[in-house]
Amino acid sequence: MKKIKSKQYIVMAATFVILALVPIFINNNYYITILNQMVINMLVVFGLNFITGLTGQMNLGTAGIYALGAYTSALLSRNFGISPWLTMIAAVFVGFLIGRGLGYPSLKMRGVYLSLTTLAFSEIVRIFATNLVSITGGTQGVKNIPRFAVGFIQLDSNVKYFYFVLIVTIVLCLLSIKITHSKWGREFRAVKDNVDAIESLGLDIKKIKIRAFTIAAMYGALGGALYAHFNQFITSTSFTTDLSISYVIMLMIGGIGNIFGNIIGAIVITLLPELLRFLGDYYQITYCILVLLCAVFLPNGLISLYGKARHLYEKKSAVKGGE
Amino acid sequence: MGNEEIVLEVKNLIKKFDGLVAVNDLSFKVKKGRIHALIGPNGAGKTTTVNMITGTDPQNEGDILFCGKSILKLPVYSRAKLGIGRTFQNIKLFSSMTVLENLMIGAQCNTNQHILTYLVNLKKAKAEEELLKEKAEVILDFIGMYRYKDEIVSNLAYGRQKMTELGRTLMMDPKLILLDEPAAGLNPSERKTFIDIIWKVFEQDIDIFLIEHNMDVVMNLSHDITVLNFGCKIAEGGSKEIQNNEEVITAYLGEGYRKKMMEKEAGANA
Repeated sequence: MKKIKSKQYIVMAATFVILALVPIFINNNYYITILNQMVINMLVVFGLNFITGLTGQMNLGTAGIYALGAYTSALLSRNFGISPWLTMIAAVFVGFLIGRGLGYPSLKMRGVYLSLTTLAFSEIVRIFATNLVSITGGTQGVKNIPRFAVGFIQLDSNVKYFYFVLIVTIVLCLLSIKITHSKWGREFRAVKDNVDAIESLGLDIKKIKIRAFTIAAMYGALGGALYAHFNQFITSTSFTTDLSISYVIMLMIGGIGNIFGNIIGAIVITLLPELLRFLGDYYQITYCILVLLCAVFLPNGLISLYGKARHLYEKKSAVKGGE
Repeated sequence: MGNEEIVLEVKNLIKKFDGLVAVNDLSFKVKKGRIHALIGPNGAGKTTTVNMITGTDPQNEGDILFCGKSILKLPVYSRAKLGIGRTFQNIKLFSSMTVLENLMIGAQCNTNQHILTYLVNLKKAKAEEELLKEKAEVILDFIGMYRYKDEIVSNLAYGRQKMTELGRTLMMDPKLILLDEPAAGLNPSERKTFIDIIWKVFEQDIDIFLIEHNMDVVMNLSHDITVLNFGCKIAEGGSKEIQNNEEVITAYLGEGYRKKMMEKEAGANA
């Protein structure tokens, strides 16, 4: 067990190194944009992994959380000239408040109610963002969101911004690993495994769920804020339910509950539209079929391929040894 | 109250499921330092009673006192935290985790390090984890499961899973353990081990309340017995008294003990 895990960490580190090397070989600004988006997605999926992956509660409100994080940081920094560093912290705090505020009523109930409330929440945020034109600019969006500097380095180019986001993501990845292996992580997994047993052990299941949800919301809001400062323009039309669902798909495709799986999922789902672009009109249906096939044949995500391959290999070598 | 100290008192409990009365006006006392058994045929309301005591199934009427205080208004986890541990009729373990992890979760309600400690003060966090681990290992040793500590629970045999569940409950430092059919599904040798372990647990000053079908287990283990039939208490007393109680024989004991009598009664009823 332990061997597999440390191997996974090595592969994980290698993936980050490869990602860091990409901008050296590719100068195309469009691809750098995708790369930024990919790493931001990764960060959001790390968060979603806590509530949906480990704790097993379907959260369909990521877009709303992401949007609130983006608007908080964008509006505070642009309208009031506050340093984006502070506004990003404010965004994370908003995430915390969403986690507590939305988590409390919805997580008291069992089953699909969380999914439904989060879905509704996300839509409410989008509708408000669309209609509060005087504040959010509606579908015209918020323009001229400032970039910021890390020490002496102005993050004026997309490549520089990419490195910043990558570092943030790596830090949050380590944090995720830490939390997953703490007593909290154990409680999260326990909720997914057996709901009834938890309470009989003196643990408050609501509290555990709210914790997981709050962490997810904080990650999501930070992701939104990073996106806002990267894109320098946000509009309510990008925060649809589609976005929430694509985060769930990333989580599912990569491997639910597994941090390395989250990384793979974010990479694959962010790149897939680009790779399938040549299909033109048939892109959407191909994408959906691929996702469906994955859901049916790889319910534990792409990460489970490794285990399956190993299993096959061991079987083969066992047969050989037998002969 | 001297040596007649009462750990758990159930007063006039009534539980209805849509008009069907599952438990009707049930009262009994679990005394300190005695193993109390609740027996009765299928559907007598035994598990419902345990669920009412732990709080998973709120009662319609009546009161439950634990160490002299009413626990009616407390949620499930608070009751557990007070010291009421339980095992389930059909094992409820965290099946994707190892035996050790399962046990560690058992004691987590009593840990108090904040998560930030886990992120900032690694030393303190590590100390707490070590403490949990050590405790789990001691208990695994106590129940004879130490060798299996790194096994994934779902790979274990049924009897060992049951043992793991008991171990997990012990991790909470309970004052009282409610065992819901501990011997069900165990083979005779496993059953014997289980009975021995329960005695060992009892010697640690933990009171035991058990629901059981297997009369051997009940007669071997319990000091006091309450017999339930169709939700009503029909008898109470020591094992000798119960064995000779006519009503109990009619309703329940007959099965294994006096088959002929049972058949006669059934014939008479028909």
